[in-house]
Amino acid sequence: MSDGQWSPSAGTGQIVVSGLSKQYKNVRAVDDLSFTVEPGRVTGFLGPNGAGKTTTLRMLLNLVAPTAGTATIGGRRYADLADPLRSVGAVLEASSAHKGRTGINHLRVICAAAGLPRRRADEALALVGLAPAAKRKFKGYSLGMKQRLGIAAAMLGDPQVLILDEPANGLDPEGIRWMRGFLKGLAAQGRTVLVSSHLLSEMQLLADDVVIIAAGKLIRQGPVDQVIGSMAHGTRVRVRTPQAAELTAALHEQAATVDTDEHGTLLVAGVDAPTVGRIALAAKVELHELTTERPDLEGVFLELTAGKADIR
Amino acid sequence: MNLVRSELLKIRTTNTWWLFGIGALVTLALAFLVNAVNADISLTGGQDLEGVPADQAEQIRATASEVYQAANLFTSGQYFGLLFVLLLGIIVVTNEFYHQTATTTFLTTPQRTMVVAAKLVTAALFGALFWLVTTLLTIPATLIYFGVQGWDAHFGSWDVTRAILLNLLAYVLWGIFGVGFGVLIRSQIGATITAVVLYLVGTTAANLIFFLLQQWLEWDWISKLAVIVPSTASTLMISGTELPGNPPQWVGAAVLIGYAVVTGAIGTMIMRRRDIA
Repeated sequence: MSDGQWSPSAGTGQIVVSGLSKQYKNVRAVDDLSFTVEPGRVTGFLGPNGAGKTTTLRMLLNLVAPTAGTATIGGRRYADLADPLRSVGAVLEASSAHKGRTGINHLRVICAAAGLPRRRADEALALVGLAPAAKRKFKGYSLGMKQRLGIAAAMLGDPQVLILDEPANGLDPEGIRWMRGFLKGLAAQGRTVLVSSHLLSEMQLLADDVVIIAAGKLIRQGPVDQVIGSMAHGTRVRVRTPQAAELTAALHEQAATVDTDEHGTLLVAGVDAPTVGRIALAAKVELHELTTERPDLEGVFLELTAGKADIR
Repeated sequence: MNLVRSELLKIRTTNTWWLFGIGALVTLALAFLVNAVNADISLTGGQDLEGVPADQAEQIRATASEVYQAANLFTSGQYFGLLFVLLLGIIVVTNEFYHQTATTTFLTTPQRTMVVAAKLVTAALFGALFWLVTTLLTIPATLIYFGVQGWDAHFGSWDVTRAILLNLLAYVLWGIFGVGFGVLIRSQIGATITAVVLYLVGTTAANLIFFLLQQWLEWDWISKLAVIVPSTASTLMISGTELPGNPPQWVGAAVLIGYAVVTGAIGTMIMRRRDIA
């Protein structure tokens, strides 16, 4: 399985969401949403709580019926896949096993239903490092172990597409690092990996592409660097000085733009940090701090979704 | 059939089946004891029929036959056994929601009709298993008891064989009701309590209502209508002899099959449309 080279014979594994909508009684949880997810890359699916991420994933997997629109995986709806577990693996919620059943038996039940050989259960458990807890009951598992069991279940059919809803929930830092390596490895083999999350710093480390939604609508889609770079302001320089007025005047002469935050710190755009230092020296201005500030995914995300994360 | 294997594995890998098995065996022993005492009273002619209304006296006399009492003993444990099978059918469905495994189940098999069908088959199989075990216990027990008493159990006669076989049908059909019931009431506790109350109290209440209606309107056929209550239909179906004032056994079977088809079909339709969130 994942230690070998996975062969992309089963289709492209591209996910296409097109005009997808879900109307609940009072809420339009997902509203005319369209995006694509490419194979060979990790795609982060981001949005504030209640943005419609989980509903979208569940519509993609035929668990929730869309009000309008379609979602396909490799060109087919999930319900039309001949052998769904061999095409798509999904991890949707941590607590989805019978509490009185052992981890290995949970996987064997799935193997039986999918017509997979029994040994796949042992292999998948070993793959996620859960073999020592195979015969322990699910209720005795920690949150991290439950997540790993969910991933093991998703890997049973050695699928070409992986879909994970908030997989980092409940994982300790070691677990999160393990998952990052695991998912990046799968993408490197040419598989499609779609991960929803609200942990933005983690996503910046993990994702190649992002799809950002808020209030059920698409906000931005593209490679992480491009999305970050698309923001109005690029890199800024943070400057603290007791002579703010003099420095501001000197910077304006060099066509830089200067903002001041509530603590009196200057945020300079249009020139880089060495230039600011040189200008300060020429103007004989004393500096207490001179830092380059790059926009990160978190900043971009908060800016993009500002005012759209209200409880609906 | 992969899906049925998976469903059977689901039951085998939790402690549900042996808890239910013990429950069914304990109630079987109690029911056999009560039925044995009844047979003794009935067959030794200890009843005083004076002052009993004529039609009831006729019924009591009809039950005072070896065939009726033997069939009753061979099918001991049905009353509570059916309840356990019903609850098992309910659990086969409600476990999926209680333990949130419905997501995994439907991801593995997006064809929901197939999943419900597998659950119906599984519940029916477990019903058959419960029947097999209880019948394997009641047959020798009844033969020994009748032998000791010096009565003929008529084992092998069509009336007795029919009662035992229709008892199998009852176990299978109640497993199917359970699945339909579980789909209708998704909450495990809600479905279980509703089923137990309906089964234990509802049967008595319904029979009382039919009795009162008959007394009030004085239409004889109303008491025959009581057969539309599922548990009454089951009891009727497995009686060894036709009782005066009651519909024939096949009516009980027809009623039960009707319920099984309706609950199974409604259950499947609901499950196909439901959002799994």
